[in-house]
Amino acid sequence: MSTSAHHRFVFAFGAAFALFYAIARARGLALFTLYPAQGIVLLGTHRSRDVADPVLDFLAPEMFWYGWIASAAIGALVVGLLAALLPGRLYWFWAWCVWLVPPMAMSACVYLTIPWFRL
Amino acid sequence: MATTLLILHGLVAVALIGAITHQTLATWAPLKAKPNTFFGRFRAIESAGFTNAIVVLYLISALLGAVVYLYFKIDLQPNLERDRHWHALGFLDLKEDFVAIGLGVLPAYWFCWRRPLNSQNHQARAALTLLLAFIVWWAFLVGHVINNIGGFGA
Repeated sequence: MSTSAHHRFVFAFGAAFALFYAIARARGLALFTLYPAQGIVLLGTHRSRDVADPVLDFLAPEMFWYGWIASAAIGALVVGLLAALLPGRLYWFWAWCVWLVPPMAMSACVYLTIPWFRL
Repeated sequence: MATTLLILHGLVAVALIGAITHQTLATWAPLKAKPNTFFGRFRAIESAGFTNAIVVLYLISALLGAVVYLYFKIDLQPNLERDRHWHALGFLDLKEDFVAIGLGVLPAYWFCWRRPLNSQNHQARAALTLLLAFIVWWAFLVGHVINNIGGFGA
């Protein structure tokens, strides 16, 4: 890869990572779910549900954050590689995307967090 | 173990916040600032020199935070939920989101600051530096508040 292709890759990766992270967060698309109390990792998104006694839900808290990052990284890697293969004249597009998309994704995350502030 | 990691995480975050704040102010301070003013002195330093340190510190801080987060989820979050600290938990959710997005733009940030500095990337360089500075400050302040709510060694 030439330097320009490297640039396109990292710019597209940054923009796509932010976009895919927001999508993974919104749609619950974690590559894996971690149960830290039990030390269990399950592929995909799994919500802990204690049907018998929902109050005891805290005994098996699930973590999606690592899974969201992994999902976003895989998607961003694909977009980054595609951007590196595309013509160099699209460089300006990725150079704009890399600093425009992340703040938009962060705004989406703020929107998704609103329920916490309504409790 | 968790307390040791948390202190280490805090120390790395302090170093990171210093470096990124310095670089951001050096990037965004007015070019015509007088040499003996605060901004003038910031401008006098070569801000690209902070880049590698910022990338390494960000990665270490994120890694330590990701480990500490496991302890938080098991030991602290149930207490915060029981005590109805919903706003704090919301801010922490945002912290994890912002830090993750920061991880994604880190390679682009590093490329933008590679020497010799490319004038073509000036806009992206300034914007990404500001974005990372915001993320680092947000993460630092939220982490600090959550730690205060949880209490030392909780």
